[in-house]
Amino acid sequence: MSSSKDNLPDKPDRVSVSRRDFLKTAGVGSLATAVTAAGAAEAEAQAGPRVVGPGDVPVALTVNGKRVDLRIEPRVTLLDALRNRADLTGNKRVCDRGSCGACTMIVDGRTVYACSTLAIDVQGKQIRTVEGLASSGSLNAVQQAFCDVDALMCGFCTPGFIVAATALLERTPNPTSEQIRRGLDGNICRCGTFVRIMEATVAAAAKGVRRV
Amino acid sequence: MSEQNTGRGRGAAPQPPPPIPTPDPKYAWPAKPALLGTAVKRIDGPDKVTGRARYTYDINRPGMIYGRMVRSPYPHAKIVSIDLAAAEKAPGVRAVLAWKEPGAEVVYQGDPVAAVAADTEERARDAAQMVRVRYEPLPHVSTEAQALAADAPKWHSTQENTRAGVRQETGDLEAGFKEAAHVVEATYSTHVITHVCLETHGAVCEWDGDQLTAWVTTQGVHQCAQQFAQSLGIPQSNVRVITQYMGGGFGSKFAPDVQGLICARLAKLANAPVKLMLDRKEEHLDTGNRPSAFAQIRAGVTNDGKLTAFDGRSWGTGGAGANANFPLPYLYQFPNRRRVHTDVYINAGQQRAMRAPGHPQGCFLTEILMDELADRVKIDPVEFRIKNAPPKAPNQMWVEYFQQGARQFGWEKRHPTGDPAPGPIKAGMGVSAHLWGGGGRGTQAHVDISSDGAVVVRCGTQDLGTGTRTLVTIVAAETLGLPTSAVKAEIGDTNYPFSPGSGGSTTAASVSPAIRITSIKALDALFARVAPVLGTAPENVVAEGGRIHVKGDPTKGLAWKDACKHLGTEPISVDGQWGEGLSSSGTSGVQFAEVTVDIETGVVRIKRILAMQDCGLIVDKLTAESQVYGGIIAAINFALFEDRLLDRVTGQMVNPNMEWYLLAGMSDIPTIDIVLNNMPERGVIGIGEPPTVSTASAIANAVRNATGATIRSLPLHPHKVLAALEQQKAGGTQ
Ligand code: FES
Ligand code: FES
Repeated sequence: MSSSKDNLPDKPDRVSVSRRDFLKTAGVGSLATAVTAAGAAEAEAQAGPRVVGPGDVPVALTVNGKRVDLRIEPRVTLLDALRNRADLTGNKRVCDRGSCGACTMIVDGRTVYACSTLAIDVQGKQIRTVEGLASSGSLNAVQQAFCDVDALMCGFCTPGFIVAATALLERTPNPTSEQIRRGLDGNICRCGTFVRIMEATVAAAAKGVRRV
Repeated sequence: MSEQNTGRGRGAAPQPPPPIPTPDPKYAWPAKPALLGTAVKRIDGPDKVTGRARYTYDINRPGMIYGRMVRSPYPHAKIVSIDLAAAEKAPGVRAVLAWKEPGAEVVYQGDPVAAVAADTEERARDAAQMVRVRYEPLPHVSTEAQALAADAPKWHSTQENTRAGVRQETGDLEAGFKEAAHVVEATYSTHVITHVCLETHGAVCEWDGDQLTAWVTTQGVHQCAQQFAQSLGIPQSNVRVITQYMGGGFGSKFAPDVQGLICARLAKLANAPVKLMLDRKEEHLDTGNRPSAFAQIRAGVTNDGKLTAFDGRSWGTGGAGANANFPLPYLYQFPNRRRVHTDVYINAGQQRAMRAPGHPQGCFLTEILMDELADRVKIDPVEFRIKNAPPKAPNQMWVEYFQQGARQFGWEKRHPTGDPAPGPIKAGMGVSAHLWGGGGRGTQAHVDISSDGAVVVRCGTQDLGTGTRTLVTIVAAETLGLPTSAVKAEIGDTNYPFSPGSGGSTTAASVSPAIRITSIKALDALFARVAPVLGTAPENVVAEGGRIHVKGDPTKGLAWKDACKHLGTEPISVDGQWGEGLSSSGTSGVQFAEVTVDIETGVVRIKRILAMQDCGLIVDKLTAESQVYGGIIAAINFALFEDRLLDRVTGQMVNPNMEWYLLAGMSDIPTIDIVLNNMPERGVIGIGEPPTVSTASAIANAVRNATGATIRSLPLHPHKVLAALEQQKAGGTQ
């Protein structure tokens, strides 16, 4: 699905895709989406359609280990549900269409663009946001390294980068620089902090990221 | 801040160094600083990496609703009617308003027309679509060429498509060309880019009776409050503007703008706090851009490489009714020169100041020409620039940077134009130089010291991501002899003393002296109270290492906290302001670039950048370096990726998003080396803008050196590289 940022390098069955490669193959991507949608329709035809909405419906999310109960329209994205209804504003909305990474969250261990994921679709899954990475007040290795080497300026892209780098290191504890680049290519920083994000990610990998 | 919205880069030619007034010795920067110039971690880093930092976009107020604007889809049209009835009745709608009247003209795609507010963002979007606006489309102009055509339609029914801009003439042009052994004649250009602040423009407005509190993502809280008051017709004392954190501005965020005013009005109408943040498309269309620049230039040079004459006809567009000036020729000394500029208007959103307004354009137009001239007389580009650069001065260090940089970069390995290596990948090096003004004044500050030793510094400046909060903390801590953890910096609020908007790289030079002076005043007041306890006179007391003690005898003193206990019930509370001698203006820099170009695909990869940059007294090494990295990466985007594309037929932006409006990602970043020339004797000078000026020119010159083909326009997209190579094969680029 378009919401998946599945470009993490440790999945042998997938070719890692940089943002720019992805752009080159965007036409193919939309085709793939159409195919998936058709598959889903078939599955639905067998199970019988389930209609929700268009008004508010109950949605229960598990965010950073805590249950969050909301009543929202089914069209509300995961990002907006958390930012506008649960006051979890750490992850940012920047492009709102899956091209900048500022909204990156981890859902069941995989990074997703929360702006392009419906909240209703991730019920029952473990959702982790930038707020959920520090354990009992102490920064995780990625957060600490970002602070140490000044891998942030305005900081608006930072939550997305922190989540993406954390996910990368949880799955690939000793990444090569190429793997770091690929793993973070889905994120954009306008202030130009990339040099130090690379430094910070290398430093965090050396320390090791412990899952909280 | 006149340069902010005009895009007029100052200093077409470098100015003689401004004298640095001697500060009152009492306030002078310390000779042996404990913190200044060291690598101090950003104070608000932990808040930003955990998501705790609240940006305007993150402000959620009790009962808050959401605003959404309705904008013209046409580049040029007359509004026939605006029907708000259906939107008014839409679910969840709490307020609607028309911003323009029927009969009014819209002059660009995205021109604001109306607005709605509803209880959820989704419903506000729905309701905005139910506002019925009838337009009578009018012919438009979307490119400079269209606007300049003989029978061009007008961008505005009552206004011309062009305006005569600056006209400058110095020396004797004819004699200059007579003296020249070679003349290069060509047209150079740069394109329009948008700021793409990751936090889009917008505000949260809340009324309490006739008092307005506005959280605005802005580079000038006080300036914003003034404009809210003026535009809404309320006293400025009734307006409070808050910007605790902001997600980038780059010159585009000095005012509440239409969306801020609409937000305030919707909040009044709905009697509820309103959040109105623009979406990415609106951000591209209506929050500013860097104007285009074109110049048809004739320039002469002697056989031994002395510039003799420059004759340039320039033009550019800043959109619908906005000018597009830039310095030309840039930096180098053409003794005889003429420049005639024309501003061109098209149906597109207006330009705003963008990181070093005017300079990247003027620099590109001049620096590509410089390499062409150097090749004509067969002189190495570095040597050629040294021959024609202004003489050395504290704010004009080019000659030294060229020499030192060339050594460090390995310039001697540069081959003449055209990489002779076999195969499709060609490598090349390029160089470019820049200048900037900077300098600051006007900031006021307040320091409180309580009897428990707590220190609070308040200043109505704002932190754009440049590190201003950290800088305030460092200067106060340095002055008070405390660790940074003992000082609380409060900024980004009009409740704090006035500080100017953050533009033109003036913030560090405005704020640092104000904090220094106010902190020393606070110390004076503290010493007056503590000296008697130490059995000495106040002038014999110093604050260092977290202690207040007798000068020269650290044992005769008190720990900071114990000293402050003597304040009892009457804390220290002092005001102060910027003073001369602790900051100055004028910076110079030189950058080198190495690239590879695939001549089969036209793809340019940057290998290395070296930046030589002066910046006066460095306050925080970490954040100063980050500014330089950031400036260079912004310029890589300008050179290789971003481009605001308007469809010539529909007049609409083709790429108002972040997938087709390209920006560099991790994989596009080269090795970047920075040499910061610390010049503490010059005081603090801003560094936000200068490093972004010359990178693109150095890259373009490196591409030329690699391929032998001259690309005289930005961006260096593959198709243009290929076209230049074709042209060169046909013998056309010399
Ligand atoms: S906001 Fe989700 S990818 Fe940009
Ligand atoms: S730090 Fe500002 S966008 Fe990345």
